[in-house]
Amino acid sequence: MNPVHGTRPVTRFVGDVLVPRLTSAALWLWVVFNLALVAWVGLQSLKSPGDVWLHPFSLPSAPEWQNWSRAWQAAQFSKAALNSVVLTGAGSVLIVGIAAPAAYALARSTRRVAGGLTGYFAMGMSIPLQTLIIPVVVVKLSLSTFMVDWVTGWWDDRITLLIFEVALSLPFAVFVLSGHLRSLPQEVEEAAELDGAGPLRTFVQVIVPLARPGIVTVLVLNVIGLWNSTLLVMVIAPGEDERTLPVALLHLYGTMQYSSDWGGMFAGIGILVFPMIVLYLWCGRRIVEGMTAGIGK
Amino acid sequence: MSATAVRISRETPPNTSARESGRRGRRTPRPARERAFWPFLLPALVLYSALFVVPALYGAWVSLHRWAGPGAEMSWRGLGNYTSLLQNEAFRSSFLNTLVLSVGGGAAVFAVTFLAMTVLRQARGRAFIRSVVFLPMIISAIAVGAAIGFLLNPDGAVNDLLGAVGIEALPWLGPELVFRCVIAGLVWSSTGFYIALMMSAVDAIPPHLYEDAHLSGATKWEQFRHITLPLTWDVFSVAAVLWVVNSLKVFEIVLAFTTGGTPGNPPLEARTVAVQQYITVSGGNTVPELGQGAAMGVFVVLVTVVLIVLIRRVTRRDRVELS
Repeated sequence: MNPVHGTRPVTRFVGDVLVPRLTSAALWLWVVFNLALVAWVGLQSLKSPGDVWLHPFSLPSAPEWQNWSRAWQAAQFSKAALNSVVLTGAGSVLIVGIAAPAAYALARSTRRVAGGLTGYFAMGMSIPLQTLIIPVVVVKLSLSTFMVDWVTGWWDDRITLLIFEVALSLPFAVFVLSGHLRSLPQEVEEAAELDGAGPLRTFVQVIVPLARPGIVTVLVLNVIGLWNSTLLVMVIAPGEDERTLPVALLHLYGTMQYSSDWGGMFAGIGILVFPMIVLYLWCGRRIVEGMTAGIGK
Repeated sequence: MSATAVRISRETPPNTSARESGRRGRRTPRPARERAFWPFLLPALVLYSALFVVPALYGAWVSLHRWAGPGAEMSWRGLGNYTSLLQNEAFRSSFLNTLVLSVGGGAAVFAVTFLAMTVLRQARGRAFIRSVVFLPMIISAIAVGAAIGFLLNPDGAVNDLLGAVGIEALPWLGPELVFRCVIAGLVWSSTGFYIALMMSAVDAIPPHLYEDAHLSGATKWEQFRHITLPLTWDVFSVAAVLWVVNSLKVFEIVLAFTTGGTPGNPPLEARTVAVQQYITVSGGNTVPELGQGAAMGVFVVLVTVVLIVLIRRVTRRDRVELS
């Protein structure tokens, strides 16, 4: 008991017991719901089409793994999976590869222009993607006409999509990385410079290893963003051969009233969701920290 | 080695700066790495300017024209696109929907977040709860929509369950209810993010404040009211802005809930501005009206700015500093 305050701890039934208990219970219910939903999708994907529809909450009688291979092999899905993997892999590497040097330049420069440019990049984070739909369509159309004239044959919407995804992801990547780089000590790189290392060598051999945690976080966040990206894909690369997994799933779901391959549809959901769940299990805390970085003090 | 290196680097400035300041009148010297400033920055700067900033400005320019797309003639319309937006019933209803989503959904998201904040500071398994509740954030809205859409189907599992308890089946994804389902789905899938965000602020509060409060007889509610809330208010203000910005661009989940055949043609009752804009641009059977679509984009930016200023004003107050 604290003599200064002179009162005893009070416990009120409603405020201190009932409401917290109910809230905890509700949160646990929510947790159970989330986990059950994931498990349920997994189980549904192993059922025969009839069972999926008629007995949605039963266990699969005999697991039908061919749902997954069938979904994967369906022309749309294997192509879409390849598109998704290439877009996600190439895109996230490009984003970090371009954003990291820029973030380094901005974080370490004493030039007055650096502050303005940092704000210029940050501005991009507050412009909603949808305001860019029209210009993106226009630039895409003129770009692909120009490019087809220029390099006939290999230019297609997927390359345009990749370039746009990279450009539109830069503000956030630059923002998070420059904040991270600013928090690193400068002594090591100054030592490297005095040893005669040029800027590029200092960056690759000193900065990149030092900033690895931040770089990995940005990489993972972009992997998630690119893997789930839908609107931009629908606008830039809507063709059947160019679809990524979310768009392919949307179309598959849309045709469900004509076909009834429910097991295949749930396997499709699994193919789309499973890699991200593995990623989340692997580095969940880093994802959460990265998404909330720079917002909480 | 590094000690001398640091000392040397501290001693070098006067010499070089004398030279530099004589030339350009600048006080600080430019270290070797500054030579790489432009080469390092340029790729990002060019890409971002050319494919993000310039298109955004170009979009504002297009919004002042009547235009069916490249190849078609572009004719000046001034503010005509904006005034006709206000008379366009589809746009009005999509905008109203978006506002309802933004305000109603926001109230629900932050009510749940605040409740969770009172408990998650100490609850058993709090780290686990936080990470599982966050999980939907990383899952594609399309996947979530397809799975839940299956459950909510008129002949689907949820109605079966309700029927078993004797409640009449409801057309969840029908015109009357679908948008409420969209809001509920969105609140469910995104609240985990705001909980994570606010909890990172709560974690920074020194525990002794709560101990003192408890000893002096403060109830849980009073602790929340007088400690947690004031000390996380800044983050809440940012979180509210984030919610508004995010709620104005809701797109995928609407498509996933309303995809009864052709993606991209949801009923009027369920459209958000982003969906309406996508429909205007992709055209369907009609001539795409890029000017109209662009005007919607600019309109959304304006609304975003207004809402941000409003939130900032409402949530502004003197900062609470820890002594």
